[in-house]
Amino acid sequence: MMYPELHPDLAAFVLGGLEPQEAEEARRHLASCSHCRNELEDLEKTNRALQAAPPPVDPPAYLRGEILSRIRAERGSRPDHAEPADSEGRTNPFKAARLYRSSRMGVVLSSVAVAVVAIVALGIFFGLTRDEAPVATIRLIPTPEEAAGLDGYWGVAKIRPQHSHNQQVELRLNNFDEPEPERYYQLWFVSGDRRISAGSFTSVGEGETRVWLNAPPEARSFDTVLITEEKFDDATPSGREVSLRGEMP
Amino acid sequence: MGITVGDVLKSGRKFGGTRPVISGRMEELSDEQCMICLDGPEVEAAFAQLYDRYGRTVFGVGLKILGDRSLAEELIQEVFLKVWRSSHTFDPSRGSFSTWLFRVTRSVALDLYRKRANRVRPVLEGDAYLATMRDRSAGPQEIVDESWLSWRVSRALDALDAPHREVIELAYFGGLSQREISLRTGIPLGTVKTRTAKAFKSLREELALGDAWRVATR
Repeated sequence: MMYPELHPDLAAFVLGGLEPQEAEEARRHLASCSHCRNELEDLEKTNRALQAAPPPVDPPAYLRGEILSRIRAERGSRPDHAEPADSEGRTNPFKAARLYRSSRMGVVLSSVAVAVVAIVALGIFFGLTRDEAPVATIRLIPTPEEAAGLDGYWGVAKIRPQHSHNQQVELRLNNFDEPEPERYYQLWFVSGDRRISAGSFTSVGEGETRVWLNAPPEARSFDTVLITEEKFDDATPSGREVSLRGEMP
Repeated sequence: MGITVGDVLKSGRKFGGTRPVISGRMEELSDEQCMICLDGPEVEAAFAQLYDRYGRTVFGVGLKILGDRSLAEELIQEVFLKVWRSSHTFDPSRGSFSTWLFRVTRSVALDLYRKRANRVRPVLEGDAYLATMRDRSAGPQEIVDESWLSWRVSRALDALDAPHREVIELAYFGGLSQREISLRTGIPLGTVKTRTAKAFKSLREELALGDAWRVATR
């Protein structure tokens, strides 16, 4: 069969989306129509390009608000600016933006100078009391049972040595389910048969849970980090129901 | 007082003069005009507009090239904070916002890749579960090579209207046949086929505008 224009099923054929009988009919048509064969070649190029397409996944909804909050916080430290106007009182947004940016740069530079002086002064004043940069970042991975059917389920633990020689542990957990009633979570450092607790916490469920805990100095020498779910009724945490685990770098 | 949406619309000639002065609605501004608004009192609305237009692309490309959801989330945060902090470095005369944002995204992705390379340790043999979590993402050169094509295809898909994008996503990512798409969506089979054909035509035109076509077909 000849079509005045292109065969209507060519794109579906390239995608492999036709039923066997329809695909066979398309093949027969292609064998006798050079116009559609040329078109098919172009459609296959488009299909190959689609292989580079990222998965159609929306970012977690909370990220938008979080980024805007951080911008809001940074904006709070920036001054408002008068809008430049021409002789007739009209504004030129592009020019105004440039002027704003250049004047903003001046203000920023002044602010940076003041900030540097302040930081130096504070550094001298507080000396060694400041926190250190993280010495370890651990990716926390759900156990297979916990991971089943969950999406966007992850965690990161950052460890920072404190002046007291204890280790501060910052936990960032995403979509980490709230514990069941009468239950809570416990953070452990484990190495072979040895384990030490770094404290207990709960979570907010959907969105990001951020928790800061403290571990004893020797925690850094352990191999594994575990988060377990515990029951209030138990006299001591069992450490048996592992929800997340990570390996120390 | 800074730059308002109305002011930017009036200054449309600075960006080619194709945009009429119609109203002060943020969604009517071009990407480049939204960038100017980042200097004004409507910064949050302008920023939210850019995020809504490009957040999915940045996150999707991050997932594609980094192969890790948490890193992709870190990527999108860092990229959009850079958009805000570095808005003064954007010059519309040197290229589109999309191209500039792509460069920012690629740069942050490479930083995250290097950071991860320093912190991920090999998985122990014999641990069946952890073995499934092995890193399958691209190397730094692949990130550079693949990210532009991935970006262009993502933008081309975003340029489709929702009904046409839906049939492509269900067919390509969902692996559904045309008949299955019809059953799933309740759309007549003939309409599904027509939309698929039109979507392919639009994708081909969008991709042909840049060099994605050449990269994809070499």
